Amino acid sequence: MVTIMNKFARYIRLYRIFAVQYMKTVLQSKVDFFVGLGGFLISQAAGLAFLYLVFEQIPSIQDWTLEQMLFIYGFAQIPRGLDHLLTDNLWMVGWQMVIKGTFDKYILRPMNIFFQIICEKVQFDATGELLIGLFFVGRAVVNGTVHLTLPRVVFFIISVIAGSIIYTSIKLVLASIAFWIKNSSPLMTTLYDTADFAKYPIEIYARPIQIVLMTVLPFAFVAYIPSTFFLINANIWKTIGAECIIALVFWLFAYGVFKKGLTVYESAGS
Amino acid sequence: MILCVSIATNNQEHRLMNENVIELKNVRKEFVSTKHYPGWKGAVKGLFTKEKERKIAVNDVSLSIKAGEIVGYIGSNGAGKSTTIKIMSGILTPTAGICLVNGLEPYRSRKTNAKNIGVVFGQRTQLWWDLPLSETYTVLKEVYEVNDRDFEERMAFFHEVLDLQGFIHNTVRTLSLGQRMRADLAAALLHNPKVLYLDEPTIGLDVVVKDKIRQAIREINEKYNTTVILTTHDLNDIEELCQRIIIIDEGRKIYDSTLNQLKKNYGCRCSILFEWKEAPDEAQLTALHTMGENVEFTRQDNGVRISFSKNETAVADVIAKVMGTIEVKDIQIKETELTDIVKNIYQNGTGQGT
Repeated sequence: MVTIMNKFARYIRLYRIFAVQYMKTVLQSKVDFFVGLGGFLISQAAGLAFLYLVFEQIPSIQDWTLEQMLFIYGFAQIPRGLDHLLTDNLWMVGWQMVIKGTFDKYILRPMNIFFQIICEKVQFDATGELLIGLFFVGRAVVNGTVHLTLPRVVFFIISVIAGSIIYTSIKLVLASIAFWIKNSSPLMTTLYDTADFAKYPIEIYARPIQIVLMTVLPFAFVAYIPSTFFLINANIWKTIGAECIIALVFWLFAYGVFKKGLTVYESAGS
Repeated sequence: MILCVSIATNNQEHRLMNENVIELKNVRKEFVSTKHYPGWKGAVKGLFTKEKERKIAVNDVSLSIKAGEIVGYIGSNGAGKSTTIKIMSGILTPTAGICLVNGLEPYRSRKTNAKNIGVVFGQRTQLWWDLPLSETYTVLKEVYEVNDRDFEERMAFFHEVLDLQGFIHNTVRTLSLGQRMRADLAAALLHNPKVLYLDEPTIGLDVVVKDKIRQAIREINEKYNTTVILTTHDLNDIEELCQRIIIIDEGRKIYDSTLNQLKKNYGCRCSILFEWKEAPDEAQLTALHTMGENVEFTRQDNGVRISFSKNETAVADVIAKVMGTIEVKDIQIKETELTDIVKNIYQNGTGQGT
C-alpha cells in the first residue's frame, strides 16, 4: 500500500514537472496559443449559432426545449474538454510518432508509457471547451432548467470523469492502431469527429447512428444520456451507472490494445 | 554487415569484470510488411493483395559482452546494427531467441531495464528541444530518481569531459550538432547506467568533437566501468576505443574476435610504392620479378607498386632488392588500414563460411 502511494506521489510530481516544462515551451510561442484558442472560439460560436437558428424555426425538438438543449450542449463540452486538455498528445502517436520512430524515447525511460505520452502535453486550447461548458451548465442551474443538490453535484463530477475516460479510451484505441498500420490519424479524425453527435439528443438521429453511438463509439453516454438524469430525473443506473460501466470496459479494452500494440511496434530505420 | 569491436579495461578491481552483461542467444528479428509493387498500377494492386513480405533484419545472432568492455558495432547500411541495438535496449521484441541485459529481457522488464541502460541515437535527440539544455538534466534527474549528491558529482564530471559549460543555458534547438551530441551523451549517462548503447555517436561531427566524444567514452568507461556498445561507420572510432570485433552481414554474425586478430588475419599485406628516376630496361624489370612467388607487381605511371605478405617477405628485403636494381626517387610504404580490411569483408565476407 505504501509503495503504491509512493508511486502515485512520484507520478504526480513527474506530471507537474513535465507539465511545467511544456508550459515553458508554450510560453515561448504565445501566438500559437492565441491562434488555437481563437480558432476554437469560432467553431464554438458556429455550433451555438446552429442551435439558435434551428430553434428559431422549431420551438422544441423531440420534446426538448432550447434551454434543455443548451444544457446538453454545455454538458457535452466538459468531459470532452477535460480529455482534450490532458491527453491531446495521443494524436501525435497516431499521426507521427510511430511512423517516424520517435516513440522510441518513451520505451527507453523508466516510467509508464501511457503516462509519458499524456504528460508531455497539456492542451490549453481546451480551456475554451471547459469555459463554454461550465457557462451553459451554470446558466441551466440559474434559470432553473436543472435543480442543484449536493448528491447531484457529486454525480455530475462522476459523470464528467467517466465521460472523459470514454473519450480517452476511444482515442487510445484509435491511436494504438498506428502500431499496426503506422499512421492512424485519418481513421482517428473520422471516428473521433462522431463525438460531435454527443452535443445533441440522440433521438434526433437515424436508428443506425443511434446504435453506433450507444455501442462501438458510445458518445451518447458521455453527455446526452447522463444529462437526462439531471433534466428529467431518468434512472441513475440506466444513465450515469451505465456510463461508468462503459467507461471501465472501454478503458480496459483500450489499454489492452495499447499494450498489445507496443509488442508489435517496429520503430523506424535511422 | 556488422562489425563489433571491444575493449577490456585494465580495471581489475571490478568484480563484474568476468560476468556477461549482455547475452544474445540465437536472436532473430523479422519484419513483415505487405508486398509493394512498383508504379501506379502496382500501388493499386498492393491494396488488394494479401501477399506478405518477410525481411529478416537479424538472423540467428548469438554474442556475449562482458562488463566494462567497449564494443564497437559496425556494419554496412542496413546490416541490422540498429535493429540489434533496439532489441538490446527493449524497443523491439525479437521474433525468436533470447536477449539478456543484466540478466533481464529488456522487452519484458522494460522499466527495470531502462534504469540500467543509457542510449544515444546519433540521428535523434532525447533533449527537450525548445528549452534550455539545463532543463533536460533537471527533468531526467527526477525521471531516473538521481539524488542531489550524485547529480552534482556527475554534472561536474560531464562539465569536465564534455565541456558543457559553454552552452548549458542555451536552448537545445540552437545547439550545434557537436554540442547536441555531447549534451545527449551526458543525458544518457546521468543515471550512471551499467550499459551504454551508442548508435553512430560521431556521425556528422568534425574531427575535434569526435576526439572529445571518444575521450569522454573512454573516461566514462574507466571511471564507472560502464559497458559500451557502439555502432559506427567511422573506423577510427573503433581503432581508438575498441579491441574486440564482431562482424554481422545481412543480419548474420560473421566475425567475432579482437581487433588485433582481425588485423593479423586480413591486414598482413603491405604495399610499397617506388617512384623511379628513369624507366628501367627489360633486364632490370626481369631482375625485380625474381623476388618471390606471392609478390605482386603493378606498373604505375613513373614507378611500380609492390604488394606482398609481411608474413612471407620482409619489408627491408623488398626495399634492398629494388634499390639495388634500379635508381629510386621516392618510396612510400602502405600498411593495410582497418578501412581496407572492413571494406574487403563487407564486399567479400570473411572467407570463414558464414
